Amino acid sequence: MATRAERIGRRRPTAVSSWVDRHIGWLLVSPAVLIVVALTIFPLGFSLWLAFVQYDFTLGPEHPWVGLDNFVENWKDPVWRASLWRTVWFSVTMVAIELVLGMLLALAMLRPFRARRVLMTLFVIPLFISPVVVGGFFDLFVRRPYGVANQLASWVWPGTVTVDFTNDSPWLYLVLIMADVWQWTPFMFVILLAGLSAIPDTLYEAADLDGAKPRQSFFFVTLPLLVPIILIAVTFRLIDAAKLFDIIFSLTRGGPGTDTYTTSYYLYQQGFEFFHLGQGTAGAWMFLIMLSFVSFWLVRRLLKPVEENSL
Amino acid sequence: MRDAALDRPRTEGPGSIRVVRGGRFRPGGVVRFVFIGLYVGFLVLPLYWMAVTSIKGQDDQLSEPPVWFPSDPTSVNYADALNRFNGWKGLENSLIVAFITTFLAVLLGTAAAYSMARYRTGKHLAFWFLSQRMMPPIAIIIPIFLLYSRYAEEWFGFTLIDTRTGLVLLYTVFALPFTVWMMYAYFRQMPPELEEAALVDGCSRLQALGKVAWPLAAPGIVSAAAFAFIFSWTEFLFAQVLARDHAVTVPVALAGMITFFQGNLYGQASALTMVSLIPAVLLGILVQRHLVRGLTLGAVQG
Repeated sequence: MATRAERIGRRRPTAVSSWVDRHIGWLLVSPAVLIVVALTIFPLGFSLWLAFVQYDFTLGPEHPWVGLDNFVENWKDPVWRASLWRTVWFSVTMVAIELVLGMLLALAMLRPFRARRVLMTLFVIPLFISPVVVGGFFDLFVRRPYGVANQLASWVWPGTVTVDFTNDSPWLYLVLIMADVWQWTPFMFVILLAGLSAIPDTLYEAADLDGAKPRQSFFFVTLPLLVPIILIAVTFRLIDAAKLFDIIFSLTRGGPGTDTYTTSYYLYQQGFEFFHLGQGTAGAWMFLIMLSFVSFWLVRRLLKPVEENSL
Repeated sequence: MRDAALDRPRTEGPGSIRVVRGGRFRPGGVVRFVFIGLYVGFLVLPLYWMAVTSIKGQDDQLSEPPVWFPSDPTSVNYADALNRFNGWKGLENSLIVAFITTFLAVLLGTAAAYSMARYRTGKHLAFWFLSQRMMPPIAIIIPIFLLYSRYAEEWFGFTLIDTRTGLVLLYTVFALPFTVWMMYAYFRQMPPELEEAALVDGCSRLQALGKVAWPLAAPGIVSAAAFAFIFSWTEFLFAQVLARDHAVTVPVALAGMITFFQGNLYGQASALTMVSLIPAVLLGILVQRHLVRGLTLGAVQG
């Protein structure tokens, strides 16, 4: 060992390698930072200009300054306002259902039983499927007349069901929500299960000795301890759900009419169907700012304890 | 009540069989398994329908009432999807893009994470990376589209629209926050003593990373890589806008089949979907142990 150290030690460090050594921290971190800056910060700066000029493939090659017109145009459009509102209630509904289902599932799967491992694997599969494909599944599943949804519904519902699940309100909302729930309940499940398993048995034994009934120990032991993890899971899901696009794209294409436009889908349409790029960008900025307020507030609060523990 | 519970000495000694399992909330056996069964049904039905559709002949697909068990399964849809409808092209592009993205994201991401964990470039950058994850893709898709299709040509003399390079660059950026956060958590729980020993032995700091820290972090790197791969394998919005023809990926090819030819190409679309599930599901099983940490960017220990 000593000889090896001497052997290496005798080699004199070159100027370059000692410079590298002194600045190693910044050298290692900068490639990642640079590529992120190049492809997100720079485009965002560029889009700031885009939002204030007329940039419209349908209107010609000049880009005159139009001030706040692009922003105003969006707000004048009832579809934009409706899509914002729809994004909010979609995300909240979806995440709420996923939370409840995921919690029940985690409770049901907590104690080991024979098929548990196989089922765990099965349950997480949806997380690795492209959302646009999940939308495709459900489209195939419910589309009249070749999908089986009506047949299944007829078995449990009196009479013959002939609902057009991709066109009739409120069923199309139900299908969209179900598709999202199908894909993301496993997310809640996995995280909540991790949280549940981390609660030490001794707490339950103590609660038991104190005479707590199972339901009481759930509400007074399990839930309070689980709150931080529930918040983390909900935050991540809410932020993702607010970006909902893929499922809409493959399941309803925003239709019928504009009834299932979410904000992301609306902006996509503005940009890439109508080529109102300036207006789309302005809308994207407003969406980004709204979402940032929500997500930074949530994330700052939530990750604070993590940050403190780990440093 | 909780403090009292914590202070109370444990009643059973080490190794003794725990008889009382406490009052943990446990829904009754029957309810529990009925619920699990229902959920399995909900989960499996659409998957089953997709699988069955992929092996149905044309007649079975259009029959009313729907056919649950096709009498003469066929592989014609698979051949069709792969050969006629961009299937092979999509798979090839998706694989290449996903592999290169994974490599780049892991290389840049682990380097950055290591620096943040060991050299205190950390705290603020960590949040900055995380904030990138929160960015809705739709917010930068228009400027990126213009940059790729127009200004790259005008300013740098090459185009990025509809190229695999363009997708790889963008996917790397979007996979980086994942990788950085996962590896940041991983490196911080690794004791620094081994690298310090290497430094004492005369390694440069770069060698300490390459020869000691990277190999030791291999398990973490594997799962971070799997998440990066799955991200680029399943991404749709960017690919839809930026790669419509030459660089078309599997999700884009699928969306094309599902939406533009409604009613005609269900068999083919299902077949391609089934194929596209294979790598995703295999990787999913591989990363199961690191699932929680990956999904929450290290915020929850799995």
